[in-house]
Amino acid sequence: MVQSKKQKYLFLAFCLIPTFIMFSIFTLYPLFSGLYYSFFEWSGSSQTREFVGFDNYTRLFNDDIIPATIWHDYFLVITKVIGIMIMALFIAVALTQLKIKEAPFYRIVFFFPNIMSVVVIGILWTFIYNPNLGLVNSGLEAVGLENWTRPWLGSETWALPSLVLPSIWAGIGLFMLLLMGGIANISKSNYEAARIDGANEWQQFWHVTLPLIWPQIKISILYIVITTLNGSFIIVQVMTGGGPNNSTHVMGSYLYQQAFNQYNFGYGATIGVMILVISLITVILLQFLLRREKVEY
Amino acid sequence: MNNMFKGQYLLVLMTVLFIIFAIGCAPDEAPVDDGEPDEEETTDDNGSSDEEATDGEVSGELEIQYFVGGYGDSWWKEVIEDFEAEYPGVEVVEHAGANINEEMRSRWVSGNPPDVVYIDGAGSSETQMVEDGQLMNLTEWAEGVELEDGSPLLDSFIAEPSTYDGELYSLPLVFDAWGTWYDMARFDEHGYEVPSDFNSFMSTMGDIQDNEGIEPFVTTGQHPYYFSRGMLYPAFAAHGGNELLADIIQGEDGAWETDEAVEIMENVQEMVEAGYVDSGLGALNHTQSQMNFLLHDNAFIPVGFWLPNEMAGDTPEDFQYGFIPSPMNPEGEPMAIVPDLRPLAIAEEAANPEAAKAFVEFVYSREYAELFSEHTGAIMNLEDVDLSNNPNVPEYLIQANDMINDPDQVQIYYMPHPMSADLETPLSDSLVSLLLGNLTAEEFIEEAEEAAADYRGE
Repeated sequence: MVQSKKQKYLFLAFCLIPTFIMFSIFTLYPLFSGLYYSFFEWSGSSQTREFVGFDNYTRLFNDDIIPATIWHDYFLVITKVIGIMIMALFIAVALTQLKIKEAPFYRIVFFFPNIMSVVVIGILWTFIYNPNLGLVNSGLEAVGLENWTRPWLGSETWALPSLVLPSIWAGIGLFMLLLMGGIANISKSNYEAARIDGANEWQQFWHVTLPLIWPQIKISILYIVITTLNGSFIIVQVMTGGGPNNSTHVMGSYLYQQAFNQYNFGYGATIGVMILVISLITVILLQFLLRREKVEY
Repeated sequence: MNNMFKGQYLLVLMTVLFIIFAIGCAPDEAPVDDGEPDEEETTDDNGSSDEEATDGEVSGELEIQYFVGGYGDSWWKEVIEDFEAEYPGVEVVEHAGANINEEMRSRWVSGNPPDVVYIDGAGSSETQMVEDGQLMNLTEWAEGVELEDGSPLLDSFIAEPSTYDGELYSLPLVFDAWGTWYDMARFDEHGYEVPSDFNSFMSTMGDIQDNEGIEPFVTTGQHPYYFSRGMLYPAFAAHGGNELLADIIQGEDGAWETDEAVEIMENVQEMVEAGYVDSGLGALNHTQSQMNFLLHDNAFIPVGFWLPNEMAGDTPEDFQYGFIPSPMNPEGEPMAIVPDLRPLAIAEEAANPEAAKAFVEFVYSREYAELFSEHTGAIMNLEDVDLSNNPNVPEYLIQANDMINDPDQVQIYYMPHPMSADLETPLSDSLVSLLLGNLTAEEFIEEAEEAAADYRGE
C-alpha cells in the first residue's frame, strides 16, 4: 500500500512534535531564560529584579576568579580525557583480546562506579582522602612514605589534582563498554591477516584496533569533554565546595556559589551563558581536530 | 517534494522557536525594578494591608516556615500546639526541615510567601531578605508588644535586634553565641588552664601540644565563616568595640588596616606559625572538624551553642562540653561575645498578618524561653530567664548563661546586622589561606581591603 503524502506528514508530525515540545520546554526555554536573566541584577529569591544591561558581562570579564575556574575545568577535561581513554582502552583491549576467563567479572567491577551516584562517589573519596583516617595517607604511612602524606583536599596545591582520580575512576566503566562494543565488531579476519603479515600484538593494536574503533574513541572524548564542562561541579561541590581559597572552583561550582550562596542570580546566569559558549567552542574545535577519514579494511 | 517538506518543516520549527523566545523574553508577572520605590510596596509599613483579617480577628490559616538544624524541632511543635489551643480559629501550616529555605524559595519568588519565617540555616539571609523587601517593617508594631508581665518586648531582649537604616524587620528569637569549646574532663585530667585571654590561650595550646603532640586548634576550612564569626568577631569586639565590629561587617574603608585589626590578624598568624592550628583543616567540613575535636585529635574548636545538640549521637561518654567566649581579648580586658541572632520575621506579603503578629507575640515569653533551653540546650533572646534551678538544662548552658549575665567576666557586643555574603565569601577565601599558612597577616589584610572595596562597589 502506498502511503499518501498527508499520511506521511502526519506520521512525521506524530513522531517529531511531542519530542520537540518537550525539548523546547526543558531545554530551549531554560536556555533563553538563562540568557534573559543574565541582563538583570536579581537575588534569585525576590520578586523584584533590576535590568542592568551588560553590567553582568562587564563584571564577568573583570572577575579574577573566572579565568581560574576556566583553567580548572580544562585541567579536569585534559586529565580526564587522557586518564579515562588510556585506562578504558587498555581494559577494553585486555578484556576482549586477551581471552581472560574472568572477563565478565572484571566488566562488572569496572562498570560498578557508573551505577553509583556522583554524590556518593564524592563522599566516598572524601573519606579516602581524609587527612587522619583516610586510606591514601594510611597507605602511604604503611609503606614508609610518611613524608608524602598531606591533607590532599585541604591543600591549595593538591586539592585539584586530587579530584582527578575519583573522576577517572567513576568514568572508566562506561567508556570501557563503549570501546569493547567497537572492538567486538572488528572482524577476526583482520587480525588473522595482520598476523600472517607478521604483525605483533602491539602492531595489531596500533594498526588494526585503533583505526577501526576511532569513531567510538571520538564519541568518548566528546562525551567526556561535554560532561566535564557541564557536570564537574558535582564532584567539586561535594568534595571541596570550590575551596580551599577557590583552588578547585570550576565554572559550574562558581555559578552555583554566585547564584545560590551569594544571591547574585543574574551574575550566575551570566556565568551559565559563558559555560554554554565555551562548551560550544570546545566541541566545534574538537570536531575539527578529531576529524579523520573513516577506515574500513 | 522533499524541498517542499523541508520548507514546511523549517517554517514550523522557526515559528515554535520564535514563540519560545517570545515567552522566554517576555517580562513575567513579577515587577521589574526600575530603581524607583514602588508606592504600593512602601506606603504600608506596618502591614495593615491584610485582606483576610481586617477587623483584627485572629483566625484563618497561618503558614510558618522554620529551619530544622542542630536545635531540632521539638520546641516548635510544642509552641505551635499551644498557640493553636490559645487561638482555636487559627490553623497552623508548618513548612519545616533542613532544606526548607531552598524548598520555599519559589514561594518567595512568586510573591506567595508563608506568613511567619524563622531565618536560620543554609540558603537563608536576613540581610538579603530585607534588601529584597520581603520582610514586613515591624518598627511601630513591635513597640507595643509586651511580655506576660507587662514589660515591653523591645526592652527585654538580651541582644538588640538588627536594624536597617534604623528600621526593624525582624525580632531576634535565638540568642546564638559563637565561642570556643573544650573538653572539661580532659582539661581536669591533664591540669590544663582554661584560657581567659589571648596570651593564656597561646600558653595553654603550647602545653597541650607539648603534652599530647597534637595541633590543638581546629575549625572547618570548607566553611571558614566558623572561624570569622567564632574567633574574629569577638576579637574585633574585644579590641575595638562595637565600632570596629560594625566597620568590618559593613566593609568600611580602612577597617582592616586599623591597629587593632592588624594586631588580631598577626595573632592569628602567630597561632599558625606556632603550629597550633590543624594543618588539615582546609579539607574538613564542619562535622568532620567537630568529630576530630570529639576524638581528641584537637582540643579547641569555635562553634555556636548548638554543638552538643548537633553531635549528641557521636559524643563519647566521658566527654564534658566546656564553653568559653573565644579568648582573643587582650590581657586584663573582659572576654567578648558577639551574638549571632536567629530572628523571627513576618513576610511583607503575608496572607494573614494578624495571625502572624499574634504568633510572634505569643512566642516571646519567659516560659517558652526556659522551654527553649530545655529542648535545645541553647538560649532564647530574653533577659531574666532563670535557668539555674532547672534540672533539664545542661551544665555548660547554665555556666554560659551566668557568664553572659556577668559584665565583669564577659562583655556583649553587637553587630549592626549579619555580614553580606558578597563580602563574607571573599574574606573567607583569604582566611583559609591565612590559616593554612599560605598568606601572611599583611597579605591577608591587603586582600581583605580589596574585598571590602569590591563590596562597596569601588
